[in-house]
Amino acid sequence: MRKSILLAKANLRRAKGQAAAIIGLMLFASLMLNLWLMLATDYKQNFVRCHEKLNGEHVTLVLNREPKEAAAGLSGFLEQDSRMSDYSLEDALNMVGSFAFHDGEVNSELVFLEKEKAFSRRIGQIELVEEVEKDAAKGIYLPILYKSEDIALGKEIEITIGNGKRTYQVCGFFNSVMAGSHNCGLCAVVLTKDCYQELAEAGDVPKATLVSVRLTRAEDSEPFETELNTEASARFPDARMNSNSYALVSQSRYISQMVCSGIISAAAFFVLLVALAVIASNIMNYIQENMKNLGALKALGYTSRQLVGSLLLQFLGLTLLAALAGIGMSYCLFPKVNRMMVSQTGIPYEVHFLFWPLLCTLLISLGAVGLAVWLASRKIRRIEAITALRQGMGTHNFKKNHLPLDKTRTPLLWALALKNTCSNLKQNLTISITMLMISLVVVFSGVMIENIIMDMTPFVEMIVGETADSCINIRAEAEEDFLRAMEQEERVEKVYLYHSLKLRHPGGAELMATFCGDFSKVNNQSLCVEGRFPKYDNEVAIAAKYAKEKGLMVGDEMTLAAEGKEARYLISGYTQTSNNLGKDCLLTREGYERLGKPDQYSYYLNLRPEVGIDTFNEEIGKEFAGKANAVLNIRAIVEGSAFVYVSLMKMIVAAVLCLSLIIIALVLYLLVRILLAHKKQEYGILKALGFTTGQLVLQTAAGFLPAVAASSAVGIFVCAWVINPLTSLFLRGIGIVKCTFTVPAGFLAAAGAGMTAVSFLLVCLLSLRIRKIAPCRLLMGEG
Amino acid sequence: MKKSLLKTKQLSKSFSNGGTLQHVLKNIDLELYEGDFTVIMGASGAGKSTLLYALSGMDTPSLGTITFGDRVISDLNSDGLAVFRREHCGFVFQQIYLIDGMSVMDNVMAAGLLVSKDRKGIRNRAKELFEAVGLGPETWRKFPTQISGGEAQRAGIVRALINNPRILFADEPTGALNSKTGLEVLNTLTKFNEQGQSVVMVTHDMRSARRGSRILYLKDGVILGECRLGPYVSKDAARHDKLSAFLAEMGW
Repeated sequence: MRKSILLAKANLRRAKGQAAAIIGLMLFASLMLNLWLMLATDYKQNFVRCHEKLNGEHVTLVLNREPKEAAAGLSGFLEQDSRMSDYSLEDALNMVGSFAFHDGEVNSELVFLEKEKAFSRRIGQIELVEEVEKDAAKGIYLPILYKSEDIALGKEIEITIGNGKRTYQVCGFFNSVMAGSHNCGLCAVVLTKDCYQELAEAGDVPKATLVSVRLTRAEDSEPFETELNTEASARFPDARMNSNSYALVSQSRYISQMVCSGIISAAAFFVLLVALAVIASNIMNYIQENMKNLGALKALGYTSRQLVGSLLLQFLGLTLLAALAGIGMSYCLFPKVNRMMVSQTGIPYEVHFLFWPLLCTLLISLGAVGLAVWLASRKIRRIEAITALRQGMGTHNFKKNHLPLDKTRTPLLWALALKNTCSNLKQNLTISITMLMISLVVVFSGVMIENIIMDMTPFVEMIVGETADSCINIRAEAEEDFLRAMEQEERVEKVYLYHSLKLRHPGGAELMATFCGDFSKVNNQSLCVEGRFPKYDNEVAIAAKYAKEKGLMVGDEMTLAAEGKEARYLISGYTQTSNNLGKDCLLTREGYERLGKPDQYSYYLNLRPEVGIDTFNEEIGKEFAGKANAVLNIRAIVEGSAFVYVSLMKMIVAAVLCLSLIIIALVLYLLVRILLAHKKQEYGILKALGFTTGQLVLQTAAGFLPAVAASSAVGIFVCAWVINPLTSLFLRGIGIVKCTFTVPAGFLAAAGAGMTAVSFLLVCLLSLRIRKIAPCRLLMGEG
Repeated sequence: MKKSLLKTKQLSKSFSNGGTLQHVLKNIDLELYEGDFTVIMGASGAGKSTLLYALSGMDTPSLGTITFGDRVISDLNSDGLAVFRREHCGFVFQQIYLIDGMSVMDNVMAAGLLVSKDRKGIRNRAKELFEAVGLGPETWRKFPTQISGGEAQRAGIVRALINNPRILFADEPTGALNSKTGLEVLNTLTKFNEQGQSVVMVTHDMRSARRGSRILYLKDGVILGECRLGPYVSKDAARHDKLSAFLAEMGW
């Protein structure tokens, strides 16, 4: 052991630069591994902890009936169900509302609660996070998710509730696990006593009951929600209601965390793989260059085990150092990532030390490096002392001269560079692995820039499903008037029925059903990923994820139920959105009317490009006052909701691109160092023959070029081909089965050329060390 | 009257060795002439190789000037010196220094193509030279480790001569060879010198030195003496005696 330690120390002293570069790579890898493990394990767990801490409900139902009436209708059902452990019925006001958020708008089912009662809830406690002025005349408390530059303590906020606008002063922010975000389906808003009273007395916001149910087992939340909804619909057929479940909320509040941790894990393994390739290449070069020394050591009595042990000690020591530093750095970075994540989840998270991620990071890093070192150093076992002392193992492949200089027409420098390329397979392999990985990052970044950052339409269409400029929810009796008015309206390009409500799939889950008058009018024609949109009243297109879970195929029949009726439908196609976490379906209007007739209809409108959506909505709102339940600016809502994703994606893209650049630089640094050490004498000879430093630098850089260019081109082509299936694999959990992101060919071609050019320049810079090679010293044996 | 080729004035070279300055060459004034076979002799550490590398533009002097024709090469930067070396100098090294990763022909072509783009011309010249040094086509395609030391050194001479250098510098060209192959190499150098090629050779071997037309003896960085032997004639006893007497006088 002592001998191995001495050898490891000697090796480290000799290759300080390489050791530093390997530490750098392993530091990045362990930083991201630990970050990923913290996000993947503890972050989601925070929801569970928070839910327990706040005695959170597992099913929430807002029913537009007063608590007395609701209790009379639902208490029996709730008390008789063995899955229920506790429940509460509370006063609330409920209506769809919207307010400006970031550059867009939030539109959600708002549940207004009175402050005193809200902060003393038994089930689904609301935790006050920040408060500025307790008794403001127009005071409002909002979920912490909405804390932003414009929505801040003491500032005023204008909320559109129904057709009216109301202004409040933000007095504080709170944390509510089940009703703290528009991603929860319903969003709690707490008003001071006077404000609540005023809103209740105004009469335009219906009184409601907030039913909160705690279950014995969280896994029962979805079926219980469906059954509670069915019961409530049966008891109160004409009541407006909205609900959510633990399963839905716990997933939908963590979509960004899931995407982010997925990307970080991919990046971590990518850096780890590159680091392993570099370490393996380093060891193989070390063996080749030190054949004589290794032979001498064996002749002195060192065993293969001791020699391999010294390499293991050396690299494991470096890895341990790097991993500990990386883990430390991940704790420095975590608060920033946490802030980013909290702005999406809306659930505060306190950064704390996590033992298991640390242990796993150490085990993965050390295990992977140990394995790579062990595999790469196997050659040492085959070295015979005497053969090695005679340099018995050739360092060149003499089998074929691929490019005889007297025959080729290639210019000299390029020909010499190509010779270098052909004779250095390990270098080419390391470059290829690195560039293939970097290509994946570049293609991912290109796709994200094109489809989210530059123009978020493809992303929004995939996640949200359908978008338009405006949505008008009109009462059934006013539908004909509305359609006549829209036909005459010159500012409208297109108007089509697109109304969503909940249906039940008996024996399955509650589905978000959307019925449409004419599916050929919808903007997102790629919503249906297999088969086709429903055409007849007996057809349904169903979410691919749900269909797969339930074993439903295109051409199968399924039963849907609503308003006490059931009907059989033929599955005409699969759809995908992440709106209801992949539990949705599409029907024709006639198809839905087999189950019942809604009392309101949502129409989507496309306006002419020059028309201001807000102005148009305001005018329509006035024209149909009392007939339109809601007039929404969908673009603004989508932009508001997508803001978090866009800003998150910007940061991720910037981070992975920077990381890629650092990785390329580190890998090339190592390869150039190895190459220069290996070819020091050759460069000395060439200099003596009259080659200038510039020529040798160019020749070196050009030697890297074929592998860099070929692997970048192949990498980008292959990654561009697989990026959509790969992304859909990542997003399967939220109901996305087929990504149709545009792959920006021009950008990727430019990126490929850029990667090659950057690599070429980096090698030029790194090989400027050739300047220091003095031919005479080398030839006089001072090398 | 022989034409002057290279001239040094007050040429000095010092190295810093652990803080102390070591003067290897001291104020050397020297003139080399076209067509000469100049041999630099001296004991180990006398500064022979340092002088050779300074003269050939492989190294820069600490003080003094080196003039090639009417060009002061001691003022050139490293790139200027590289161009000077490729255009006017050829090198034969003790350790041969063919590039292992290239075939024998490629080693020669790499040097030739550096100066001229006339690939065919260089190939033909290479073939002529290979024939002149006695290396057949079967050797050209081989790699340096696949041929003998003598063959490798003769290939080294071909590489050195491929660009028709004004001066051929040879640093102990037989130092790593056995006596038979060493002799072959010396014969080759002599043959080219007889054809008009200027040669400057460093050696501490008297048998090699006898090939020279002019012998310079270096001691402690100073040219201690000079002996003119004239063109080489084999089995010339008087030439041998003259050289022996000179070397004895120099304290050899």
